[in-house]
Amino acid sequence: MKRVLLASLILSGFALSGEFTLKKPPESLKKYYPPQSEKFEFLNNMHTMSTAFYAVQLNINDGNWEKATQWAKKLVETYKKTAEMVPEWKKYFDFKKAEAYLKAVESKNVDSVIKASQELGKTCAKCHQDNEIAVKIYYRFPNFSEIKIEDPVEFMEYELEDFMVKLTRSLQALNVYLSQNQPDKVQEHGMNFVERARAVKEMCSKCHTDKRDVEAITGKDYDQALNTLEELLNAEKPDFNKIKQITAKVTLTCYTCHNVHYIPSKIKSAFSK
Amino acid sequence: MKFLFLFLFLVALTGCEKINEIFLEEDLLQRPPAKRCADCHAEIYKAWKESRHAKAWISEHFKQESENYSKLKCLPCHAPHQVDPLEKPLLRVERRHEGVNCVACHFKEETKAMHGPYKVWSPPHPSKEDKNYTKSEICAGCHRKTYKEWKLARVQTTCQQCHMKVKDITWIMDKFPFLLFHTRKPLHDHTFPAGKATPKDLKTFLTEEGLKIVNVGIPHNLPTADQGNPKLYIIAEVYYQNGKKRVIRKILSPQSNTALRYLEPYNIKIPKYEEVEKVVLKIYRRLAWKKERELILVDELKPFKLAEK
Repeated sequence: MKRVLLASLILSGFALSGEFTLKKPPESLKKYYPPQSEKFEFLNNMHTMSTAFYAVQLNINDGNWEKATQWAKKLVETYKKTAEMVPEWKKYFDFKKAEAYLKAVESKNVDSVIKASQELGKTCAKCHQDNEIAVKIYYRFPNFSEIKIEDPVEFMEYELEDFMVKLTRSLQALNVYLSQNQPDKVQEHGMNFVERARAVKEMCSKCHTDKRDVEAITGKDYDQALNTLEELLNAEKPDFNKIKQITAKVTLTCYTCHNVHYIPSKIKSAFSK
Repeated sequence: MKFLFLFLFLVALTGCEKINEIFLEEDLLQRPPAKRCADCHAEIYKAWKESRHAKAWISEHFKQESENYSKLKCLPCHAPHQVDPLEKPLLRVERRHEGVNCVACHFKEETKAMHGPYKVWSPPHPSKEDKNYTKSEICAGCHRKTYKEWKLARVQTTCQQCHMKVKDITWIMDKFPFLLFHTRKPLHDHTFPAGKATPKDLKTFLTEEGLKIVNVGIPHNLPTADQGNPKLYIIAEVYYQNGKKRVIRKILSPQSNTALRYLEPYNIKIPKYEEVEKVVLKIYRRLAWKKERELILVDELKPFKLAEK
């Protein structure tokens, strides 16, 4: 039973409470992420500690106290090193609890290990609750604010946000003139939307260097939908119903990308200000 | 001249292998900086220095696009350790600022020799004749997308035939008196020019189906790039018989998957074709790393039916 409890410690993870605040990560963390470092030293330490923590539990459950002690030493050693890496976060680290954890494992007493694990785990959890999401967004998500797109209608380069406004306005204009039954305007604004929607793909490839990633979202189906929309718009007598249907298909892609990228990009943008 | 006789005397006396040992310059096998290669290959170095390969790492455009070198996937091709046919290279550790430098393409770890298309005797460093340098595959490790497009084009012309044209028949090493021991060979252009499509490379037609543009001269997509985004700007001014005018603008680019495929017509629908008097077509290009657009074609097209009359 004790061993089951021990195993459940790691499985519980670090849950966030109902309300939390995202704070911009400290500047001192920068040196452990690209472009200053390609080694992800801080993140690797997190992985090392997490693995060591679980390795201790696995080995205790296996009755292998010798290996458990080795892993506990590794955990405590990495914990201490990590505390020095970001001075602003030193307060999160409690060396006494780390030492107590090591002693508990060395004592080969499961009750002591459970207690010490919980105590040490709390120091990790507190830091994760306060910072993990912010760090991931700040250091791991792309910086959309630096992406520029050339507008295929105006042949001008715009920042992404401004380009997205233009794309949205084209779509809205298309819908407005569809509802007002004005074929010439539908054709004009519809084609602007088609060209701008095609240019969206340029943006994906700025980060997604594997073409398969881009193809999965803005691939053949997307291209085909835009080609069909172009044909419908250029028809002698445009079929408004079909135009509406195919436009809805194209805009599904908007949701797909926004669901993944929109929120992190907004948070990252706020951090950058 | 005295030196030459002395050298020939030494060759006769000791044999080529001994000469290799005597004249071997050890540092050339330690991945030297590009400037070191210029000691004997000054002309090639000068050309390379002007090339995009030399700027592959330090270019402001790349620095910006890679978010200050933080997009790790992009880096190996901009400072490769060793370029091998069809293989994506590893990122070089030293002198990344040199971009795609001499040793990246010519020095092979496996043989500890400089590889190139010619069989040469070069005592300062071992050399290996390697016919891969005459084939498109050597470029394909980095220029993957363009290579695939080229394969689909099914032409004999290789990358080197357009982007490394023979500039001169001369000495590939130009240090006196050592050049006297070599025969003149075709010296290929190490500026690796991007090339510019001409009106001959593009055929245009105006039919009921639309305005068709066909890439008939460039055996890969136009424009082409793996990650960069060069563009073609198409401006079609459509003049109608009733005096009205309409302007159709298009941007074609590799990243939006709209580039002109070899021999595959690209169609632009022309609204109210029956009423069209003429179409004035202008095509500009912009290289990925440049701001300015360059005109490559101006054409005036009449509807097929009107032309018949």
